[in-house]
Amino acid sequence: MPRRVLLALTALTLTACGSTAGGGADKQLTVVMWGGDDQKKAVAAYVEPWAKGKGVTVKQDSPTDYAKFRAQVESKKVSWGVVEVEPNFAVTACKNGWAVKLGKVDTSAVKKELVGECGIPVLEYAFTIGYNTKTFSAGNHPTSWAEFFDTAKFPGKRGFWKYATGAMFEAALLADGVPKDKLYPLDLDRAFKKLDTIKKDIVFYETGEQQQQLVSSGEVPLIQAWNGRIFAAAKDGQPVANEWNEHLLSYDQLVIPAGYKGAALAEEWMNAFLADAKGQADYANQSAYAPVNPKALEFVTPEVRKELPTEHEDQRAAIIDYTYWAEHYDKVTERMNAWMAE
Amino acid sequence: MDGRVAGRRWGGLVLPLVAFLLVVFVYPLAGMLARSVTDPEPGLGNYAAFFDSPVYSGVLVNTFLTAGLVTLVTLLLGFPYAYLMTLATPFWRGVLMAAVLVPFWTSLLVRTFAWVLVLRDTGVVNDVIAALGGAPVPLLRNLTGVLIGMVQVMLPFAVLPIYATMRTIDRRLLQAAEGLGARPAFAFWRVYAPLTLPGVAAATLLVFVSSLGFYVTPALLGGPKNVMIGELIVQQLSGVLRWGFASALAVILLVVTGVLLLLAARVVDLRRMLGGGR
Repeated sequence: MPRRVLLALTALTLTACGSTAGGGADKQLTVVMWGGDDQKKAVAAYVEPWAKGKGVTVKQDSPTDYAKFRAQVESKKVSWGVVEVEPNFAVTACKNGWAVKLGKVDTSAVKKELVGECGIPVLEYAFTIGYNTKTFSAGNHPTSWAEFFDTAKFPGKRGFWKYATGAMFEAALLADGVPKDKLYPLDLDRAFKKLDTIKKDIVFYETGEQQQQLVSSGEVPLIQAWNGRIFAAAKDGQPVANEWNEHLLSYDQLVIPAGYKGAALAEEWMNAFLADAKGQADYANQSAYAPVNPKALEFVTPEVRKELPTEHEDQRAAIIDYTYWAEHYDKVTERMNAWMAE
Repeated sequence: MDGRVAGRRWGGLVLPLVAFLLVVFVYPLAGMLARSVTDPEPGLGNYAAFFDSPVYSGVLVNTFLTAGLVTLVTLLLGFPYAYLMTLATPFWRGVLMAAVLVPFWTSLLVRTFAWVLVLRDTGVVNDVIAALGGAPVPLLRNLTGVLIGMVQVMLPFAVLPIYATMRTIDRRLLQAAEGLGARPAFAFWRVYAPLTLPGVAAATLLVFVSSLGFYVTPALLGGPKNVMIGELIVQQLSGVLRWGFASALAVILLVVTGVLLLLAARVVDLRRMLGGGR
């Protein structure tokens, strides 16, 4: 699932995804996600069926852009309804009054730790060790972040996502021996020191497409990956696989910008979505991103199920702590810029 | 015709354009300027933050260095290319023109991704080098990659103005110079080349100023050390939502570019170059 990808890029690669909006419908809901195929699948799986039943017109936009989000709220011209965001942004938006507090949404069906005051989870994914199966065999590849950082034992370039929230610091600390339950607050000095040891081997990627390309081509045989991207590439016949051990669980949230006229309708859809096990499973089957309602798992095919974070909970290192990131994202980004430019 | 009289008579036609510029350029620019000194709090904090950190000023320096290098390489390639176009038969001129324009009309993203495929360690170029027994050459995620990508994008902006100028130069001047005893190379550099200067200057300006604002190409073909200011602005704008700081970055870029243009104007006649008075 691409998050804050090159915005222009996604916008351009996206083919027209506007729905067949008729002018006559008085009830409409605008859904904004990261764009691409993923968004089409998601909307078709769990927005359109609900909308059809209710006589609601679904409109779409993409990709999510926090600057646009903030601009709409501040100028009081809000056209975005339900917006998929990273949870740290959801916390920030909530704090600044940019997002609607979700009073009427029943979140009892999903894990408490994935729910925020303004955001409900939409999917779970994992930062795994993605590896090229031509370079490294199933029996001989890094199975921990310590090994991922061990360039003597496993030579080759390492890929990380170019954002502070991309789990690179968590991975570095795990590699350096920080216990799983003592990750937060992150010891940044220690993380940067560990990252220094492999700095010359690090390749940063911006987008999910780049991630797939780097690891599939073998140019970067080891990559901190989004499990669904690796799954999709493997399904396309690329020589790649996920190593689930010590994966870091992450998730996206849905929020409603403050001042959206259809907020009540949006909350109504949120309620329906959280309960919609079939719809969530439908999307999971196509994307290998886990549904947030556990009931959906029984509708997921066995082949996809074993590629979901929910099947590997015993191997999980931690859940990304987005409350930490909401508070520290700016500072860490600044420090990361300085570190990368050194 | 006397340009000044025409200017007075038709001056009214410019008004809609001025109004348009006021609305879509000056007004937002003023807003940006205001934001840079008011967000998150009134004062020059954003500018102070910029000059306090060697990272950000480093990005600015890198932006100008990269743009300068791109301009230089583009001119070195574009000048002979344009000259070749003036010598070619109409058929070959068409071919050369198409070779410049087809990439020009192709999406920037498509071209940039194509470069990734060509230049990466496991890409076409390095495959050939490996097949010939050489060691792989790092062509991507460094300055080389950025230069290759940006030069290709900017080449039409150099070739077209230079060619436009060259086309108007009377080649008999060269014959005359040679007839008076100049060697061909001497005649070229002393007679022909100076006449191409308006085109070369226009190309330099176009390429340099456009290069300053590049975003996608350095982001995809460069490494963490090749960050240009456009990328930094996007990060501050959409990533960390520091709009005041992003505005300050944009203002700084604008001011430095403006100063450079003023300096350039002292060396070359900008008005003439841009087709103004004679």
